Amino acid sequence: MLSSIAKPFAALALAAALISIVLAALGASPVGVFAALGEGAFGSWYACVDTIVKSTPLVFTGLAVSLAFSGALWNIGADGQLTVGAIAAGAIGPHLGNFPHAIAVAIILAAGVLGGAVWGGVAGWLRARRDVNEVISTIMLNFVAVQALSWVVHGPLMEPSHAYPTSSPIARAAQLEFYFAPSRINLGMILAVVLAAACYLLLFRTGAGFELRAMGRNRRAATFFAVRIPALTFWVMALSGALAGLGGAVQISAISHRLYEKLSPGWGFEAIAVALVARLNPLGIIPAAILFGALDNGSQAMQRTQGISPELVQVIQGLVILIILAFDTPAWRGLRENIFGAPHDAAAVPPVAEMPDA
Amino acid sequence: MLRANAITKRFGRTLALDAVDFEALPGEIHALVGENGAGKTTLMNVMAGSLAADHGEAILDGRPLQPGSPRAALAAGIAAVHQSPMLFERMTWEENLALGGFDTGAGALDLDAIATRARSLAAKLGFEMPPAGATVENRSVAERVRLEVLRALSFNPRVLILDEPTSVLAPSELTAFLDLLRSLRGEGRIVVLITHKLAEAIAVADRITVLRRGRVVARTTPARTSEEKLAGLMIGEIVTQPVASATPSHSGDPVLQIENLTLDDHTGRRILDRLSFRAAAGEIVGIAGVDGNGQTELVEVLAGARRPSSGKITVLDGSSGGAMAVIPQNRDLDGLILDMRLWENLILARPLREQVTSHGWLNTSHAIDLCRELIDRFRIRAPGPETIAGALSGGNRQRLEVARAIASRPRVIVAHNICRGLDLAATAEVHRTILDFATGGGAAILISSDLDELLAICGRLLIISRGKIRETNPGERDPERLGLLMAGARD
Amino acid sequence: MLEAFLTSAITMATPILLAALGELLVEESGVINIGIEGAMLAGAFVALAIAYFSGSIALGLAGAIAAGVAINAIFAMLVVNLAVNQVVTGTAVSILALGLTGVFYRKLFGVTGKAFMVAPIAKIPLGPLARIPLLGPVLFNHNGLVYFTFILVPALWYVIARTRYGLRLRACGERPEAADALGLGVIAIRWQALIVSGALTGLAGAFLTLAYANTFVENISAGRGFVALSVVIVGRWNSWGLAAASVLFGAAMALQFGLQALGTVVPYQLFLALPYALTLVVLAGFGGQAAAPSALGEPYRRQ
Repeated sequence: MLSSIAKPFAALALAAALISIVLAALGASPVGVFAALGEGAFGSWYACVDTIVKSTPLVFTGLAVSLAFSGALWNIGADGQLTVGAIAAGAIGPHLGNFPHAIAVAIILAAGVLGGAVWGGVAGWLRARRDVNEVISTIMLNFVAVQALSWVVHGPLMEPSHAYPTSSPIARAAQLEFYFAPSRINLGMILAVVLAAACYLLLFRTGAGFELRAMGRNRRAATFFAVRIPALTFWVMALSGALAGLGGAVQISAISHRLYEKLSPGWGFEAIAVALVARLNPLGIIPAAILFGALDNGSQAMQRTQGISPELVQVIQGLVILIILAFDTPAWRGLRENIFGAPHDAAAVPPVAEMPDA
Repeated sequence: MLRANAITKRFGRTLALDAVDFEALPGEIHALVGENGAGKTTLMNVMAGSLAADHGEAILDGRPLQPGSPRAALAAGIAAVHQSPMLFERMTWEENLALGGFDTGAGALDLDAIATRARSLAAKLGFEMPPAGATVENRSVAERVRLEVLRALSFNPRVLILDEPTSVLAPSELTAFLDLLRSLRGEGRIVVLITHKLAEAIAVADRITVLRRGRVVARTTPARTSEEKLAGLMIGEIVTQPVASATPSHSGDPVLQIENLTLDDHTGRRILDRLSFRAAAGEIVGIAGVDGNGQTELVEVLAGARRPSSGKITVLDGSSGGAMAVIPQNRDLDGLILDMRLWENLILARPLREQVTSHGWLNTSHAIDLCRELIDRFRIRAPGPETIAGALSGGNRQRLEVARAIASRPRVIVAHNICRGLDLAATAEVHRTILDFATGGGAAILISSDLDELLAICGRLLIISRGKIRETNPGERDPERLGLLMAGARD
Repeated sequence: MLEAFLTSAITMATPILLAALGELLVEESGVINIGIEGAMLAGAFVALAIAYFSGSIALGLAGAIAAGVAINAIFAMLVVNLAVNQVVTGTAVSILALGLTGVFYRKLFGVTGKAFMVAPIAKIPLGPLARIPLLGPVLFNHNGLVYFTFILVPALWYVIARTRYGLRLRACGERPEAADALGLGVIAIRWQALIVSGALTGLAGAFLTLAYANTFVENISAGRGFVALSVVIVGRWNSWGLAAASVLFGAAMALQFGLQALGTVVPYQLFLALPYALTLVVLAGFGGQAAAPSALGEPYRRQ
């Protein structure tokens, strides 16, 4: 029987096996590809730093997804929430030149939080008040966000020369500084770690977190025990969106400094893989995000040396999610009980003593 | 001949059927009796192909049935009528019947022809059919049972298995229904009637098989047994009547007052119709009714899970929101979160949750201590507070729910079908706890379809029918008259 | 101008409608597949690859059907047989298909940036009908896939509303445990719906590469699978409604291209966002899923 800790690793091993088959079909050597991935992700100091940089947005979106999923709110919209957070940050960023650094950073990050919270909150409100399935609404909001980003970088926020579809760079004061150069460690990463711990405490050490988990496990029972489902739904979706939006603001503030089309390469969807590998535990999000960030980072080297395009990473993401789902399915659980037997408590019944008309 | 050979079926930790042998002959009504949870429905599902047994087989006329295939069972001639009718709510009744045997399966689907065939069979049985094109969702419970019986008969089955069909019928509809079963027997069919109502079994059956906790404990005939003997076999313990004498009525100040409570569902159908009643400290009030007359919704409204359309609920003399504790009827789906730990299930109750939270922070060790204390006090058989609720037996799950309600220190406890599926000893224990609660100055409201249970413990009895509540005369104890009221008769 | 716009609207509507009709079948059986995008991409890629290397459009279409079916089979295995979360599975399936098509596209066609073009599927003008002014070119001068798609609308309506098969399908979406007790075979029916839907969605993808773009680029479906999902909602689970919603969304897309070319003040993104925004408005307005099958999205498993 697989323990709950070994399971994700077994799933990863199976994913590796299936990916090897895909690679064989491509005529590539699985060993070479995995080696190139590892080399690209962790092969040098710079590679490691880059892996951390690439993991950071995944921590934010991963936390967003794991919070919402813990309450059985299927937020597929972290990508849109991150995008709107980034738009808010990118819109306000160029105007923060006259503020002291700390204030400017606080404002730009708050803008991201607010933008993401609004986008997640809309889906939460629709679910709570209009009974609109959050899956559909968050998917739709993703696309609206993508088009909104495209519009602002071609229109109102376009840089002054109108040569490129990007926004003006944010003010120097609003940019997150790198500490311990050349590590590129920035406040955003520290924030990500702190927030992971905070989400863990929220989920497992507060009354609200308990209500959220209760709602996720059995929504109907929760309604019977004065869990205010509509309010909780709204706030969790808003919080989930805020986390993703903060991720977008950190990306703008620390890395890209400006908005451009297709800002997110799919961090909000990758987050689902991250969250499932972490089994929705916020503390597990950090290693899981680093794992997928490493894949993203290593894929460049893989392309250079093995001629396999970086889309392979998406193949891996998809397979990992599917395999984890398959491993977690109740159908297997039933099978396991059939194989290993289940203890039963009906043995207390005495054997039939009297059989009047047998 | 229908035979079940040494059928064993396990659900997780529970052994639902333990090597059960069963046999029913053509031209007989065979009653399968037992307490709730004895395994009757599981046995039916195995014979009707809805469940595959772990061991053993079902045999019809010497041919083993393909396990786990309802289609094979229907083809072999076994049709089932389920406890809650298996109908498609948003389809018309014609479409519902078209999914049964009225459809010839050849040529284009002809709903008119199906309706005609259904009406002619209905006429023979004395059933009245809904208007053409009516969807099922707005039909009454009795109409649904008729539709499902009709659909089962449309297969022209050699075996008809009925699972507690009478529990949703008003007593007045019962006679006609039992006559129907007799006429089916007359046609040489095998009728298996699953019930926990012993009088019914004795009145209509040719033979009776008694199940207890997944085992056959007796095979007998009505002539050779009596209700008392059957009850003894079903329960397997000395029948101790729950303490009934010490039920005071109106001993204290009013605690709960409900005025003109009305609830309409999203289609505008009236579920609760201007309910008004009150309960006093020290009182146990029973609300009797046939299932599906608004009880579930009343509990949801009282629990705050559903907002009433209008009306007022006042807990007098209750300070906080913890003034009322609710024990919903379906403990596995509504009352507990089976894959959470016992202490977590405990703090589902808001007052207990507040007790172990300060400034929003959850004090888990406090919650675990509290849980351990209640496990001892209410004799819940569990390894400890960290046990997953799903690992408990049904009786212990109910103890946990009652313990949680009492520990919340409410002024009022509302409990819905609280003893369903419990054996008599556990029932008595639950009643004793409720009685202690009332004696201690609380008010208890027991909602149940089991009139006998309510008569035994309640000082005052209300009847709920079609969303309306009416008082009964103090001292009114005649089950027949009360049954008529439950069926919706006006005085 | 108007003629070109309307023709383009019908062309844009076709792949969306084709995929949406498949999704309608699936949703009527009680399953929600948000991975339509995946099957569409797979169909688009396989159709182009086979048509390019074999020179046969017919083989390309067959390949697209096979690819769509294969993707939906993965989905069905998890969702129908193992009863896992449909939403997460659908998301994973589209990520997987996006990755697979990307990787194999680069492998087969290299990274040269050269466009790998195929000849478009031939148009079949419908005799004298095609010569009616305006209506002729707009409605009766398309390739076979377009006609097939629009003929499917009444056909599917009839199947779902009037036939035995449709009744069983709806029964599975309404109350699977009751359908099971009647021996309808929920698992088989849901598999069938997903297989048919896979074929239709694969064809929708093929339409993109073989009839519209005549080549493949990564993520060529560009969210059309999700538009198909919203078409089912906006069309209120009725194939006529689906057709109307598809044409509306197709027109929005066609308008967007015109605006982009003209460089008007109206941002074209508005029209690209229209299907999604409209879906949100419809959902909010109708208050949830009143028209959706009752058991939509709930995994069904026997005890």
